Amino acid sequence: MNNHTHSPRPTLNLFRARGLFALIIAWSFSGPALANEDQSFQALRDWIDAAPAADAMPAAGTHLGIADRDEFLVSLIPRSAWPYYIFDDMDMEVAAHGDYPPPPDWGKAVDPDYRLDERGVLIDFKGAGFPFPDVSDNDPDAAAKVVWNMLWRPGQDDFDMPMVTWLRGENGQLDRKLEYTSVSSTYARGEHCLVDGYEDVKSKRVMEFRSPRDMAGAKDMKISYVDHDREDSGWLYLPAQRKPRRTLASERTSELMGMDMIREDLNGFSGKMFENNWTYLGRRAVLATINVRDNPEFGGPHLWVPHKARWEVRDTHVVMVEPKSPDHPYSSRIIFIDAETYWTHWMFAFDREDNQLLRMNQHYLKYSESYATEQPQQAPYVKQDFSDNVGHFVFLHLGETDINAKKPHATLTHCYVKKRDFSPARAQQFYSLRNMISGRR
Amino acid sequence: MIFRLPQAFAPCLGLFLYLACSPSMAIVTLGENIELEGFLRLQNMVRTAEFDDAELIMQRNTAQLESKYYFLRDSEAFGRFNTGPLEEATLTLTGRGVYDSVYDMRGIYDDAPAPGSPGRDELEMREAFVDLLLPPFTLRLGRQQVVWGETDNFRALDVINPLDLTWHWARESWEDIRIPLWMARGIYDIGKFAWLDESFIEAIWIPADFRPNKIATDPRQPWAFTGNGLRETANSIVINNTLLNLNLSVLDKHPERELGNGQGGFRFKAIWGDIDFSLNYFYGFSGDTGVRVREDLSRTVGDTLHRTIELVNPRSHVVGFTANYSEERFTQSVFRMETAFTSGVPVALAADAPTSVDGDRDQFDTARRTVVMVAVDRPTWIKPLNSTRTVFLSTQVFWRHYLDYNPHYRGIPTVENAQVGGIDLPGRFVSNNTDRLDRDEFVITFSASTSYGAAGLIQPSFVFAIDPRSTGAYNRLAVDYFWSDNILLRLQQDLYWQAVDNDPGPWALGDIWGKSDQNNRNETNFSLIFQF
Repeated sequence: MNNHTHSPRPTLNLFRARGLFALIIAWSFSGPALANEDQSFQALRDWIDAAPAADAMPAAGTHLGIADRDEFLVSLIPRSAWPYYIFDDMDMEVAAHGDYPPPPDWGKAVDPDYRLDERGVLIDFKGAGFPFPDVSDNDPDAAAKVVWNMLWRPGQDDFDMPMVTWLRGENGQLDRKLEYTSVSSTYARGEHCLVDGYEDVKSKRVMEFRSPRDMAGAKDMKISYVDHDREDSGWLYLPAQRKPRRTLASERTSELMGMDMIREDLNGFSGKMFENNWTYLGRRAVLATINVRDNPEFGGPHLWVPHKARWEVRDTHVVMVEPKSPDHPYSSRIIFIDAETYWTHWMFAFDREDNQLLRMNQHYLKYSESYATEQPQQAPYVKQDFSDNVGHFVFLHLGETDINAKKPHATLTHCYVKKRDFSPARAQQFYSLRNMISGRR
Repeated sequence: MIFRLPQAFAPCLGLFLYLACSPSMAIVTLGENIELEGFLRLQNMVRTAEFDDAELIMQRNTAQLESKYYFLRDSEAFGRFNTGPLEEATLTLTGRGVYDSVYDMRGIYDDAPAPGSPGRDELEMREAFVDLLLPPFTLRLGRQQVVWGETDNFRALDVINPLDLTWHWARESWEDIRIPLWMARGIYDIGKFAWLDESFIEAIWIPADFRPNKIATDPRQPWAFTGNGLRETANSIVINNTLLNLNLSVLDKHPERELGNGQGGFRFKAIWGDIDFSLNYFYGFSGDTGVRVREDLSRTVGDTLHRTIELVNPRSHVVGFTANYSEERFTQSVFRMETAFTSGVPVALAADAPTSVDGDRDQFDTARRTVVMVAVDRPTWIKPLNSTRTVFLSTQVFWRHYLDYNPHYRGIPTVENAQVGGIDLPGRFVSNNTDRLDRDEFVITFSASTSYGAAGLIQPSFVFAIDPRSTGAYNRLAVDYFWSDNILLRLQQDLYWQAVDNDPGPWALGDIWGKSDQNNRNETNFSLIFQF
């Protein structure tokens, strides 16, 4: 895989050619305990630069444990995540590099009349393919193009997704458990729109809480637009008020409902391109839960991270995002986006106050075609037929770990995704303000 | 103070302890189609007039069970019958039982109203409705709540369901104090047309279920509305410096349950540009009850005046407009507005109003009134207070205006000691109404809320409401703590105060409940809630 990686900086290529040097760096990282806990921005940058040699990868079928720390783990798990992802009884099954083709018609219905403006904003793109199927490492807009591909990746909508979220403190202390369901549909489908007349809409989503009871019945509807400059429209129905309330979209930096994430953290980055400066940091091999067998159990000292899950070594684009606003809580965030599928694997955000890790997230994915041979768990509160997921040729988001390193605290989510295709008429009915004026109570 | 634990309370406490000690449980699912949720709430309230003493005035124990039965999914009913265009249907039932044990626990309330009186106990099916989805039409049939408008905790367009103000005025979640009504609510989704988006039209019909707002007037009840005076019942009247006993006969003229007394309305809602708006009309009865004095039925026998009054709820038209707009660029705020025109508002006339104003001498009139509300919501960073989460700030300004104002309009009557020749007569009380309504009335509200703790389990809030004309104000300081997903601890302090004078104002804020007398209602409220 690393034979295909490139870097805009020659020195990095030199580093990549020298696996021994990488091992030395890895050894130095695995030294004193204090160094192990270094979760600074610079430490992660150094780790990114110290890429392992292509022949220093674990073989398929290997189960990585703590004994493999120096040989594989420290070089393939981003340094900021070591305190959580490397632990005594850890068990990472490493699978062979998978081939995950996109839907057969992906890219064929793209309306070609679009462009990237000087702010890095994608103008007039309407979906149905990656806006930038080929991203060159030397492209000065590589960072923005990678993120645009992530934002328009196949499979990010069109599902029923019951979810369970656990909010855990240290030592596995369970503070809260939330159950809710998200239903979303892609409207912008290239040369046509799901519902005629809604060509300005990118996607619509309705999410409804089921428990605990103080949140049960609360639901929100979000409309995202093709025009990136236009803020989302949102309404929140609260059973206690028995009516919808208009919500503000442009505040994206507050923690959500006690969860260890901000709205901008969703999928690694869900903010506005023009509010940030973008830097492409090259490619980096990382371990990723890109095609898990099942919703992973949680392990580690605090039960925050996937345990006994199936991982792969994946080639990723590494993108650095620096918010322009001095009031933003992050000095920067670094995102590892899969170089083939453009799904986010890891995101690390650093505190503007001290450049230490503030929040991170890591995502568990499952390829739709793998449902033919292995199906993940059913949601604890609804049974779904997952067999229809086969044939979509997309990834399904089976969950994520979100950690606030400063608290410290984590939010763990399992998603139970079933692909769903709305008819135009049904979509118009379901994703409507009419549907937001009443709820389960 | 002697407490007696009533036998009826013991099973309640036992059930709560059992559930509290059980493993964390969420909503209960029976089979694949029935869901149960609910709560058990133990609400304890002490009145702290001078903050040097506390009087337990409420120990309200509430059990609520909510169920939803999904009997029709994907056009198939009960798993076997094809229903064609009828795609989904559910049955929702919400039952509530209430027992306020303070009456049995405190000897001081031995002469309190009998069981079954407002606020003391309750057992009812609050909501029971069927939802039917036949796209693009949806229908909800049954006993339900319908809320219109953009305001929080204010009656302008939100007048379809009356309120039960008997047990804690309007200081509870309105979801819990609205009185559900039997009605049909249909919504036809239009969607996009012309320059409008997300449009729909909604119609409601309440065939025969009128209920007025409920207010407790028995001064022995903690939240009796006795006006800006003594917590007594008027038993006398002074006419020409002569004291008479007052024997009041009340004729309840509330609309009967018959089709001729139906209520209904419609609303058109849509988005124009980025502005979400609605046009509303409701034809019903005033939820506020007026008092019409029947001089023709009153008579004096000996030293007793037998006075007859009628309780009436006039026919009312409510026409309104609402809008909201999320301004994302400059203010990062959501702006809301609501305006309503209401006819048939019952008002009292002064007893000495001239015949040109009160020709039939019934001390009663109806008025037309408008309300304009503007509001701003803003999630705001206040980093010194909270470095990880915004504080949600919300403020509302209400202006209520009498279109056909009369200076003889009167507001809240006052019970005073009866006097003859300037001397107080012990045990004798008269009702007087010198509270002249203003043509224009205002109230401003402000609230702030946020959450603390790693998982946001500590949720403080602050509420402030002030009537700028009377300077009467109300504050609530509250904090919710989620001890677990199932157990919520809630502590609230309500404060009433007034900057100047003693004008009670139209909103029952400030002075009327803030004085250091028996009307004082500064309260501390501690609730223990088990939810599932």
